Amino acid sequence: MRPLLCLLACVWIMPMTTFAAPPDKSPARFTVTVEYYKLPNGLRVVLSPDHSSPTVAIGVYYRIGFRIEPRDRTGFAHLFEHMMFQGSQNLGKMEMIRLVQQNGGLLNGSTRFDFTNYYEVMPANKLETMLWAEADRMKGLAITEENLTNQKGVVSNEVKVNVINTPYGGFPWLDMPQYANTNWFNAHNFYGELKDIDASTLPDVQHFFSTYYTPNNAALAIVGDFDPADAKAMITKYFSGIPSVPSPKQPDIAEPKQEKERTATKSDPLAKRPALAVSYHMPDRNTPEYYAMGLIDQILLQGDNSLLHDELVKKRGYTDSVDGGINLLGNMFNYQGPMLWTAYLFYDNTVKASDIVTAIESQIAPLRDKPVDQAVLDRALVKMRSSFYDSLGDFNGFGRADMLASFALFDDNPAQINDVEAQFHKVTPALIQKTVTEYLRPTNRTVLVVEPKSADTAGTKSSN
Amino acid sequence: MRNIFVNLICAAGLLPFAISVVLAQNSAAPKQTPPAGGPPKPFHLPQLEKFSLPNGLQVTMAPFGSIPKVEVAVAVRSGSLNEPANQVWLAELTGRLIKEGTASRSAEQVAQQAASMGGSITIGVGDDVTRIDSDVLSEFGPQIVALLADVVMHPLLPESDVPRLKQDLLRKLSIEKTQPGALAHEQFVHALYPNHPYGRSLSTEPIIESFTEADVKRFYESNFGAARTHIYVAGKFDPAAVKVAITNAFSDWKRGPDPQIDIPKPVAKKQVELVDRPGSAQSTLYIGLAAIDPSNPDYIPLQVMNALLGGSFGSRITANIREQKGYTYSPRSQVSVRYRDGYWVEVADVTTAVTGPSIKEILYEIDRLQNEPPPSAELDGIKNYLGGLFVIRNSSRDGVINQLQFVDLHQLGDDYLSTYVQKVYAVTPQQVQEMARKYVVPDKLTLVVVGDKEKISDQMAPYLK
Repeated sequence: MRPLLCLLACVWIMPMTTFAAPPDKSPARFTVTVEYYKLPNGLRVVLSPDHSSPTVAIGVYYRIGFRIEPRDRTGFAHLFEHMMFQGSQNLGKMEMIRLVQQNGGLLNGSTRFDFTNYYEVMPANKLETMLWAEADRMKGLAITEENLTNQKGVVSNEVKVNVINTPYGGFPWLDMPQYANTNWFNAHNFYGELKDIDASTLPDVQHFFSTYYTPNNAALAIVGDFDPADAKAMITKYFSGIPSVPSPKQPDIAEPKQEKERTATKSDPLAKRPALAVSYHMPDRNTPEYYAMGLIDQILLQGDNSLLHDELVKKRGYTDSVDGGINLLGNMFNYQGPMLWTAYLFYDNTVKASDIVTAIESQIAPLRDKPVDQAVLDRALVKMRSSFYDSLGDFNGFGRADMLASFALFDDNPAQINDVEAQFHKVTPALIQKTVTEYLRPTNRTVLVVEPKSADTAGTKSSN
Repeated sequence: MRNIFVNLICAAGLLPFAISVVLAQNSAAPKQTPPAGGPPKPFHLPQLEKFSLPNGLQVTMAPFGSIPKVEVAVAVRSGSLNEPANQVWLAELTGRLIKEGTASRSAEQVAQQAASMGGSITIGVGDDVTRIDSDVLSEFGPQIVALLADVVMHPLLPESDVPRLKQDLLRKLSIEKTQPGALAHEQFVHALYPNHPYGRSLSTEPIIESFTEADVKRFYESNFGAARTHIYVAGKFDPAAVKVAITNAFSDWKRGPDPQIDIPKPVAKKQVELVDRPGSAQSTLYIGLAAIDPSNPDYIPLQVMNALLGGSFGSRITANIREQKGYTYSPRSQVSVRYRDGYWVEVADVTTAVTGPSIKEILYEIDRLQNEPPPSAELDGIKNYLGGLFVIRNSSRDGVINQLQFVDLHQLGDDYLSTYVQKVYAVTPQQVQEMARKYVVPDKLTLVVVGDKEKISDQMAPYLK
C-alpha cells in the first residue's frame, strides 16, 4: 500500500495560446482546460471541466495495445478487453454494464495499436459512481472459466461478423498492417486467429492483467461538468490505494525503413467487385513532418475537394469515394509507434489496379515536384481545424478525453492538446514538399488489392 | 434493492468460481455497494428560435455548446417514399446529382468553397427525408447558408455526370447484395411492405440502367421546394446573422408541391423467409413485425419495453444470447419509424450452428416479458438509462438536429422533448408487459434468416411450420 500523497504531485498547466496568425477572419478559438497530475502510484490523471452539458466523459486508458500481445496469443489484448466487463471484486458479470445503464450512461471499451480503453459517458452527478467502478476493476478481476468461455464465443462472433462472414472483411484496417509492416509486433493479425482465441486460459488472463493493468501503466481522463477539487478527492479515495507494479520493458516495435514497394493480392470469395488500398509509412509522431502529413492528408484525401476525390471519383469515375487517413483504428493523435497513411477504394472489374495506382501517383507527384500553393495549404489548415474541433466535441467530450489520455500516456503532456493547432500552422509549402518526397515515395508504398473470386463481369452485369 | 440484485447474480454462478480464480486480494470480503453520486444536475434543452418564410419554408435555430462549429441541415420531405416501383434509388441518384454543381458554381467550386469553411456538403437520402448538410467553423454560418441554398435551389443536375453516378449505384448494389445484413433487411422490409416504397430497399440493375437525366429532373421538380423543407441550425453561431442569411437566400425559392402522404398497410401475419447464402459462418436474423409510429401515445411505453427487451447492452435478449450463451456479438432490437409507420425488430448475426437455439432464446425472452411484468428495479434501471440517453442525444449538433427533425416529421408538438423524460418515468411494469403483448405478437412475427441453408434447415424446422 502506498501513502495517500496525491496532491504533492499535482501540477497546474495553464493553457498558453501561441497560435500563428490564422488565414481567415476573426475565427472563434477553442482552448481546452487541462489539469494534469500523477498519483503516487503513477496513475496519470487529466481533468478538463466543460460545463456546456450536464454530462461527464470518463476514459481509463491502459498502455497495452494489440501490437505487443503475446506471440502465441494473437487477439489476446482484445479478448482481454472483453474480460474487463466480466466481473471485478465488487461487480459481478453484467453488473458493470447495468450499473452504467441504470445510472443513465453509455459505456464501451476498445483495443487499439498502443492502448486499450474503457469509457463511459454519464450524467454529471454519476462521476463518483463510475470512478469507484473503474477503480474496482483496476484493483482486480474475478473471472470464471465460464465467463472466459462465454467471451471466447462472443469474440469469435465478433470476428465472424466483421471479417469472416462479410465481403472485404478486415479490408484494409486489419489486413494492411500485416502486409505493409515487417516487425511481428506491427504485422500480426491483431483481431486474432480463432484457434489462438480459443486456446486462451484463465492463467493467461491473470498474467496479462497483473502485467499491464497497473495504475502506473494507465491514464484517467475526465471531461465535462464537474468540479476538479471534488474529482481529485474522489480519485484519491478510489485509486490511490492500488499498488504500482514495475512495468515490463517495451519490446522493440520499430519498423525498418521501407526501400522497395510491396504489393499483395487477397482473394475474397464473398466479394463481387475489387478493392484497392495504398499505404505509406508515416513520419515519427510529433515531428514537423508528422504535422505536415496531417495537412497532406487533408489536401489529398479528406473531403470532396481533395485531390484524390477529384481525380479518382470525378475525373476518372473509378469509384464514388476514396477513404482513409492516418491510423484507420483511431486518428493521428492516439497512437505511439510506427503508423501508416492509407487510402482505399472499391471499384469495378473493368478497371486495372495498376491504373488506379498510376492515378493516385499522378496526384502525389505534383506535391513532390514543387511547393504547394499557399491557398491550398490554407484550405487544408481550415479543414484540419474544423476536424480537430469535431474531435474535441465528439460524443459528449469523449473525443477530448481520448486525446488527453493519449497525450498523457504517450507524451506525459496532455496540455499538448492546446499546441496542436500551432504545430499545423508552422507547416510551410517547402515542408509539405520535403515530406511528400521522403514519405510518399513509391518505394515506401504497399499496394493491397482485394480480388473477387467470382467477379461480376464487365462491372455492370450481375447474375444475382 | 441494489444489494438483492448483486446477491442474486452471485448465487446464480459467480461466487462458487470466484474463489478459485482470484486475481486480487480479499475476494471473500463482502461486496461493496457503488456510491450513488450526487443529486442530478438540471438539463436544459437548447432555447429554440423558430421562424418561417412566406413560401412555406420552416426554420429552427438551436444555439448551444462550446465548440466553435455550426451545423446547417436542409431537410426536404423527399425520399424513397416518392419513388415509383420501377424507379427504386431514383431519390438516391437525385441526391448524388444535386452535388454536381449549380447554375452559377461548378461542382469543384461548391466543394472548394465548403472546404474553405472547414466543411463539405453531405447528402443523405432516407425513406421520408433527404438531408443536405454542412458542418463548418462558427464564423462561416451565413456563408454556408448561402452555399447550401444555391445547391438545393439551383442544382444543375448535369446530364454529363449521370452515367458515372449510375455506375456508382450499380457498384453499390453489387456490394450490398453480398452483405448478409443488407440482404436480410431487404427481405424483411419486403415481407412487411410488399407493395409500398418502404418495402424496396435494394434497386435492380435494369432499373438503375434505365435512369435518365430527365428522370432526375422530374423527381427534383416533383419533390423539392420550400413548402416541404425545414432548415435546422445547431451549434455556436450568430442567430441574427444566420436568420438574415436564410431569409435572403431562401425567400425566392418556389413553394413547390406539398409533401406526398402515402401511409403503408403492412402485412401482419407470420412469415418465414430463409435466404440461402452457402458457406455463411453466421446466420443473420431479422425477427419483427409492424408496430406503431411516434404519434401514437403508446410510442414512449413501447420504447421503454424495447430498451428492456433487446434495445440496450443490459437488455434481456442481449444478456441471454450474448452474455450467457456467447451466440453472437452485437444483437439489438429497435423500433424503426417512418411517417405514420413503424416496426419492431430484433437483429442478430449468430454462429451458424446455433441458429435455431438463438431464435428459441429470442422467442423465450419475448414470451417471458408477455407473461410477467418486469421487476420494478429492472424497469427503473431502464428508465434511468433512457433519461440519461436523452441528455446525451441532445448534447451534440447532429443529435439536436435529429431530435428536432424527428419531432417535426412526426408532428409531435413542441412539448414532446420537454415532457419526454417525465413520460418515460411514468411507465409502469404492467404497461411494459402490455406493450410486449400488444405489439410483439408471436403469431404475427416475420422471421428472415440469411445463412447456409443446408446447415440451418433442420434447426429452422420448428419455425417453418
